[in-house]
Amino acid sequence: MPKDKKKEEVTEVEHVDRNITLFSQVSHMIEAETITRLTLSHNKLTALPANIADLISLTSLNLWNNQIEELPSSISSLPKLKILNIGMNKLTILPRGFGSFPVLEILDLTYNNLSERSLPGNFFFMKTLRALYLGDNDFEMLPGDVENLENLQVLVLRENDLLTLPRELGKLTRLRELHIQGNRLAMIPPELGNLELIGSKLVLRLEHNPFIPRLQEQFDANGAAGVWSHIRTDDYRYFFGRQEPSSTPVPPKRNKEKKVSRKGIQQA
Amino acid sequence: MVCGGMEPDHHHINGDLAHGFENMVCVRCRDGFSMQDQMVNSSGEVWHSDCFVCAQCFEPFPDGIYFEYEGRKYCEHDFHVLFSPCCGKCNEFIVGRVIKAMNASWHPACFCCELCNKQLADVGFLRNAGRALCRECNEREKAAGHGRYVCHKCHAMIDDGQHIKFRGDSFHPYHFKCKRCNVELTTASREVNGELYCLRCHDTMGIPICGACHRPIEERVIAALGKHWHVEHFVCSVCEKPFLGHRHYERKGLAYCEQHFHKLYGNLCFRCGDPCCGEVFQALQKTWCVKCFACSFCDKKLDQKTKFYEFDMKPTCKRCYDRFPTELKKRISESLKDRDVENQRRSMSPAPK
Repeated sequence: MPKDKKKEEVTEVEHVDRNITLFSQVSHMIEAETITRLTLSHNKLTALPANIADLISLTSLNLWNNQIEELPSSISSLPKLKILNIGMNKLTILPRGFGSFPVLEILDLTYNNLSERSLPGNFFFMKTLRALYLGDNDFEMLPGDVENLENLQVLVLRENDLLTLPRELGKLTRLRELHIQGNRLAMIPPELGNLELIGSKLVLRLEHNPFIPRLQEQFDANGAAGVWSHIRTDDYRYFFGRQEPSSTPVPPKRNKEKKVSRKGIQQA
Repeated sequence: MVCGGMEPDHHHINGDLAHGFENMVCVRCRDGFSMQDQMVNSSGEVWHSDCFVCAQCFEPFPDGIYFEYEGRKYCEHDFHVLFSPCCGKCNEFIVGRVIKAMNASWHPACFCCELCNKQLADVGFLRNAGRALCRECNEREKAAGHGRYVCHKCHAMIDDGQHIKFRGDSFHPYHFKCKRCNVELTTASREVNGELYCLRCHDTMGIPICGACHRPIEERVIAALGKHWHVEHFVCSVCEKPFLGHRHYERKGLAYCEQHFHKLYGNLCFRCGDPCCGEVFQALQKTWCVKCFACSFCDKKLDQKTKFYEFDMKPTCKRCYDRFPTELKKRISESLKDRDVENQRRSMSPAPK
């Protein structure tokens, strides 16, 4: 009797760094209808079963540092999932309909092999999303659809291959953290000046971009705040509007051969 | 009490009888009778006919009808004036059956239901707010008056919304005058310390007015947002629940409960999204519930003493940081170095315009 009771109360399951290669190794330890948190970080999972969708009470799923190459499309139907961490895996593509999570708030896809071509059409329709982590991926551009993430507060695009940012980013008025350092950005759309990102509790990271001289000068002198106040000027707005996209040479991509997410993955 | 009228015997003393009356005396004047005197005989007593008069007006009894009360005889008029009850409705004397009800006397025909005029003498009546009513009308009035106040002074019904409360009872306001300016009160009057005041006087007396209902506050006063409030009227501007002494938060002239304040103005936990109650962790430009502050990568709980690393402004425990790929750690440390150099350089050189 006490044993049963104890079992009922276990709603958070953690198997970190246990050399788990198959989800079935843990599924027997899970009460599918009551489990609220499942943490399987630092294991060797290569896939998730479609019946992951049976964990109907799950609010947090952490799969950091596994070797997952593909996700079942059923994962998006988890009705209570608020936090999903699939960073440090080997994802090159996201399944169809991935954006249909009903209540997802934090999505961590850091350190995979994702690009704008990996995203399903509804990716940016996660209206409840508060934080999106796409650092250490292969994005060269970000679709303007990003404007639909109207609740987004944190956007990390650190160390991708971005050449431009969409002006629609300027519509994400709730944004308080923007990480775009380590990309190939020469300019920043003046519309992003709408965003309040300078001050306490706000984060703006711009370093390691091949900025045009006027932005680089501002950055060198006054850091991110200098860049941000400059892109708000009429002068910059005028200058930006007159730039030919092809007028500047395309900087090379960063060498990512050493990324562990690449190992064993066929590069296109 | 009332002896009623009776026909007294009138005798003219003639020669035949005179002899027998020589020793008789008049009941009133105690004189004897001469042969010429007219004599009145009533119930074995005799009077001079001039002495057989009303004890009040000294006039002979009209039609010989008199009323006797406590040994005296009165004409009908004076008897009524002195002793008859007066009808509460028509103000005429009542002869015969008297209905005593509602602290007055009534002709049986005059004692009627105040609403339907039905005679009540034989069917009985019910008192309703100072009125005598028949059973049917009383039922109807009771139904109509349900929920209305009865004036504690005049006992009449008070029209809806036209009452005032005074010392716990309801009244017509016009029974009272303002304690201060003596004006007849209306429903817009206020009780203060057991006295009634008109609204004008009340408002000049410095009694706090509730910012929500605009009525005076006589019990506990909440002072907040530059106004006064009834305890039960000081509420969260989102959920409208009274704070009842619990902590409230003010912003832009409005008051909020903890939950709705946090919902609107931050201090929401970055992880669970709910308002942080009690102790919170402030780190990495974010706020966390104590229970939610954990490594983003393995969900290990962190506390104030645990050393953690920052990665994309996410808390990272040492174990997870150590397990980052070497090439990533290299990039992180390089960018940290760069940031340090930048910060140092910027803090040393004077800030250009």
